[in-house]
Amino acid sequence: MRKKIIFLVALFSLLLIGSMSVSAEVIEIEFWHAMSGGRTAAVERIVNNFNAEHPNIKVNAQFTGSYAETLTQGISAVRAGNPPHIIQVYEVGTQTMLDSQAIVPVHEIVGDQIDFGSVIQPILNYYSVDGKLYSMPFNSSTAMLYYNKDAFAKAGIDSPPETWADVEEMGLKLIESGAANHGLSFGWPAWIMEQMFAYHNQPYANNMNGRDARATEIYLNSDFGKHVLGTWTDLVEKNVIAYGGREYSANQDFLAGEVAMLIQSTSSLSSMEKTADFEVGTSFLPRFEGQGIGNSVIGGASLWVMQGHDDKEYQAVVEFFKFLNRTDVTIQWHKDTGYFPSTNSAVKQLMDNRWFSEKPNYLTAFLQVLSGVATPASNGVLLGNFVEIRNITDTAVEQAFTGVLSPEEALEEATDKANQVLEDYTELFGN
Amino acid sequence: MQSKFSKKYNFLAYLLLSPSIIIVITFLIYPSLESLYLSFFRSTPFGNRQIFVGLENFARLLTSETYWNSLGRSLIFTAITVFISISFSLLLAVLTNKNIRGVKIYKSLLIWPFAFSFAFSGIIWGVLMHPNVGIMSYYIQLLTGFEFNWVNSGSAAFILLIIASSWRMLGYNFIFFIAALQNVSPSLLESAEIDGANPFIKFWKITFPLISPITFFLLIMNTLQVFFLTFGIVDVLTKGGPARATDIVTYKLFRDAFLSMRTGYASAQSIILFVIVAGITIFQFKYAGKKVFYQ
Repeated sequence: MRKKIIFLVALFSLLLIGSMSVSAEVIEIEFWHAMSGGRTAAVERIVNNFNAEHPNIKVNAQFTGSYAETLTQGISAVRAGNPPHIIQVYEVGTQTMLDSQAIVPVHEIVGDQIDFGSVIQPILNYYSVDGKLYSMPFNSSTAMLYYNKDAFAKAGIDSPPETWADVEEMGLKLIESGAANHGLSFGWPAWIMEQMFAYHNQPYANNMNGRDARATEIYLNSDFGKHVLGTWTDLVEKNVIAYGGREYSANQDFLAGEVAMLIQSTSSLSSMEKTADFEVGTSFLPRFEGQGIGNSVIGGASLWVMQGHDDKEYQAVVEFFKFLNRTDVTIQWHKDTGYFPSTNSAVKQLMDNRWFSEKPNYLTAFLQVLSGVATPASNGVLLGNFVEIRNITDTAVEQAFTGVLSPEEALEEATDKANQVLEDYTELFGN
Repeated sequence: MQSKFSKKYNFLAYLLLSPSIIIVITFLIYPSLESLYLSFFRSTPFGNRQIFVGLENFARLLTSETYWNSLGRSLIFTAITVFISISFSLLLAVLTNKNIRGVKIYKSLLIWPFAFSFAFSGIIWGVLMHPNVGIMSYYIQLLTGFEFNWVNSGSAAFILLIIASSWRMLGYNFIFFIAALQNVSPSLLESAEIDGANPFIKFWKITFPLISPITFFLLIMNTLQVFFLTFGIVDVLTKGGPARATDIVTYKLFRDAFLSMRTGYASAQSIILFVIVAGITIFQFKYAGKKVFYQ
């Protein structure tokens, strides 16, 4: 019996000492992210460098699955009362996070320790509400046009399309000359639809794109929306557009030479350049003539700080954010992944070091977002349950493309469904 | 009713049963009740706001065209897949239940698909049948001129789902049929042969009734597995598209629960699903079960 007691006491004190020595000096920060594949290594590189420079802070980066899985796990952790410090959440989860009552706005803990004026304007605008930054921009991308230079040369076309009319003309030429079976394909149909709205300065939803108050009405069935989907569907019928699936599956079609043009996220650039056995060119998104000028929207994800931790820990989080915002770190992240370097000084240094002149494809997306006009409509829309609305829009595009419904019918149905989702969401907040 | 055992054994019986009872209560009964409770609410993803909506979730589901589309497609899909996988594996089992050369190799190869998960089966078939770079779709187009493009054709996607799912169930059914066929007494078959029965009659009048308990068992197991687990294939291949052609109920449930995070709406779906599956199983026991011949 006595032996047992001694053993227990020894064990207990060991545990006590163990836990004390950890909490005494080093502040541990849990960071959950969704960066898979080669991007996991890029995140770890940042975190390891940070930890090496800050002996009193230890950031534990943990890959928690896809964006959706990471958010689901984050929610369970919050409900169980044990949230991590930082969660990476995709752009469609922004409204969910804003309404969660479980976050600490980044501007509150950062104060004036970081000058967010240095962050590139379109990125800053996307993650700001009422001019205040709620989450830390991390991996930002946008959509652009990729084209197969070899196929274009074969078809005797010397410049990429500027408008959708060009897309049609060039697509037909490409098909006729046998340079490709189809003209163009794209990934993330709903996102490209959103891009088209913002790119032409058309609001996607009411209440200033959901930025003045929660959006209650979506404008998918507006004349502009019908014009977009109508034109696309027409191009599908002419074989110019080949629908390529919801996410990245269209990349395959482009790489295999099936289509000669692709609209896709800029984050596919580095892998595309590595895998393609032809010369990859990039250009701005095609326009609809005479429909107004806005800007392409930021996609990707940002870092949210969760409630339930003490000030010391939040200060450590701020240190980490300062590090992320540093020019060399931003540049390295850009080069490792192809995501935007999010600060102006990083862009300047990349220019000075001739990175952009050596790799002009990395410049395209920048020029595109920087040459646009910043308006409420082009800042990107905020919607409650955006994930579901994306699914509704994807379905509408597919219905039109596969001939299940006409573009107008598909958009009317989608608008009804999306408005119901928005109504359900706003009802929860009693307004 | 008087128990066969005296009372003092009762305690021991409960004690021995308790681990399974505890597991069933914590992992099955409690979550089911929780789902039932949640199905009367609408809440935000984080659960910080919640309003009682009564039967609204159920009413919406039962009046939703999208949900009926999902239900209809799931039932048709399950029926076709179960029929194909059971009949095809029975055919293969009969063919390999003979003394032919290398039969053991064939058997092991045919059992293999069972080792893969549904999601993996989806990946394999997705690669083989990729509209542009898939080797199988290439040969299909070469031989028949038919372009099998499941990315932009709903019916092609539906067919691909049936193929991938049936293929996955093949190995499972095959093992059971092989075992069942080996249990059919050769003397019965021999005497039938002496009476002048041809192989076809021998199979339908003797073998098939004798293996009917296994067929029945497989019918139920296949229905349940195909109904629920095909989710994996949909998730990796089509995500319910194009245009809801493959939006089977389990995938819709997953999307509403874990992507859109409409907990109440998804809980209501799980309750409806429970009722449907229980219904199908009871129906099968009642009607198909009667046709089973127990030796």
